[in-house]
Amino acid sequence: MVLEATMICIDNSEWMRNGDYSPTRFQAQADAVNLICGAKTQSNPENTVGVLTMAGKGVRVLVTPTSDLGKILACMHGLDIGGEMNLAAGIQVAQLALKHRQNKKQQQRIIVFAGGPVKYDKKVLEMIGKKLKKNSVALDVVNFGEEDEAKTEKLEALVAAVNNNDSSHIVHVPAGSNALSDVLLSTPIFTGDGEGGSGFAAAAAAAAAGGVSGFDFGVDPNLDPELALALRVSMEEERARQEAAAKKAADDSSKQEKEGESTSQDATMSENVGTSESENKKDDLMDDENALLQQALAMSMDDPAATVTTRDVDMSEAATDDQDLALALQLSVQEGAKDQSGQADMGKLLADQSFVSSILASLPGVDPNDPSVKDLLASMQNQSESSEQKKDEDKKEDDK
Amino acid sequence: MSTTESSTASAHQKNQVDLLDFIDWTGVECLNQNTAHAYPNALKQGYREDEGLHLESDADEQLLIYIPFTQVIKLHSIVIKGPEEEGPQTVKLYTNKEHMGFSNVSDYPPSDTLALTPENLKGKPVVLKYVKFQNVRSLTIFIEDNQSGADVTKVQKIILQGMTVETTDMKGLKKIEDHNH
Repeated sequence: MVLEATMICIDNSEWMRNGDYSPTRFQAQADAVNLICGAKTQSNPENTVGVLTMAGKGVRVLVTPTSDLGKILACMHGLDIGGEMNLAAGIQVAQLALKHRQNKKQQQRIIVFAGGPVKYDKKVLEMIGKKLKKNSVALDVVNFGEEDEAKTEKLEALVAAVNNNDSSHIVHVPAGSNALSDVLLSTPIFTGDGEGGSGFAAAAAAAAAGGVSGFDFGVDPNLDPELALALRVSMEEERARQEAAAKKAADDSSKQEKEGESTSQDATMSENVGTSESENKKDDLMDDENALLQQALAMSMDDPAATVTTRDVDMSEAATDDQDLALALQLSVQEGAKDQSGQADMGKLLADQSFVSSILASLPGVDPNDPSVKDLLASMQNQSESSEQKKDEDKKEDDK
Repeated sequence: MSTTESSTASAHQKNQVDLLDFIDWTGVECLNQNTAHAYPNALKQGYREDEGLHLESDADEQLLIYIPFTQVIKLHSIVIKGPEEEGPQTVKLYTNKEHMGFSNVSDYPPSDTLALTPENLKGKPVVLKYVKFQNVRSLTIFIEDNQSGADVTKVQKIILQGMTVETTDMKGLKKIEDHNH
């Protein structure tokens, strides 16, 4: 719990109109400022926070350091965007404001949001940095918005000049889907130096993560922020682990799928992926088959000769001779009808090794591990589907 | 005249004590100190006797040490020990000026300005303008530069000698007045 007076330097230059941080750079910045103000005032009741703007007509102090959060939040509304950011002047005014803080026991800290380009020389910034260090003022810089190497270098030089005992930090936040304030939550600007994260940061992080659903560990994060943080961290670790595992499994299965298609001998494949899918397919197939069977039967009974082919006519002629033969013929007619309409579907289904083997396994008196059946399956797989094999298949199904 | 002067001086010297026990340690501040070589090295008992430990400036050669006391004191003399090269040279003392910064050291006239010699740095006490330090609640020591103009100033030991107002021996005061009359 550091006792601290903080001045926050907001960048309200023209560059803040850009929308690469949602909703705009300026609004993202304002959210982050609000969050920081909350964090600072909650970490110690005697902490004070002030706000100033660096661009516009000149550096303007909106609020001198105060512990009244309402005042700070209110000043963020209706700010004009315009002009260029004057970093050097902003920091120096902030230092002056801190110097005249009411409680001299407070440590001094300046937090700078640098979104626009920095026009000052590295040398000038280093000099200012030295001055801050000499007066034991810590400086945090949030580097966002405009990205160019010179700016980053200048800001890093500035922080390096100020840094004393690791109390000053710089954070680079590139434009992206994450909100600026969310990114800052996990940085030293919130967690402080070496304190393992303030209670507020933990609670705020938990709230941010929980979103609307809230904190669902059955613990009030406000009552025990450390516990909440610990829970949150372990939950995130677990989630990361699960995601990694899921990803690995997905990779593996896709690899297996490929292998399974090529070798058609993968046992795990048929167990894991095949069963549920093929079960559905089987049901569909049965329905289709029944319908087709009935249709075919009706056709062959009504008018076998007129139905389709010359072959059928021959068969109907033969049927008059023998009862047994008639039965056999009837069967073959059914097959013919089915072959014509269901060929495409059957071809697809039979190509599915796992499906076929699961069907075979479900048939009574058929051992899918029988070498002859295996051979049969393998030959089917190679698209050499002879009518004989089909007959075998259909017979079995009919038997059932 | 000279004999009386020396006798008063010696009388004062005898009554002076190390004011170490009257420093309000919670309020001591030091600006521009190198945190690896902080003020306790020069001020606190045990640390300051160790020649290897010293207070060191950080960003530049200046140092500003604020020392509040637990009770009102009179300051008689000061000992500032330091290395020959990086030891302090110009030292300004301010009384009862709370929370000064480097930017406002020139805003107030110093109560006393010392120019330390190499003998002083070896441990010879510097006697202050005693009248200016009669009612001291806090003392600010501003070390402006060092002997060689180096970037870093080092201070090995600071001893403040004086007495507390409460323990002022009224008898002793009378005696001195007698001498002066």
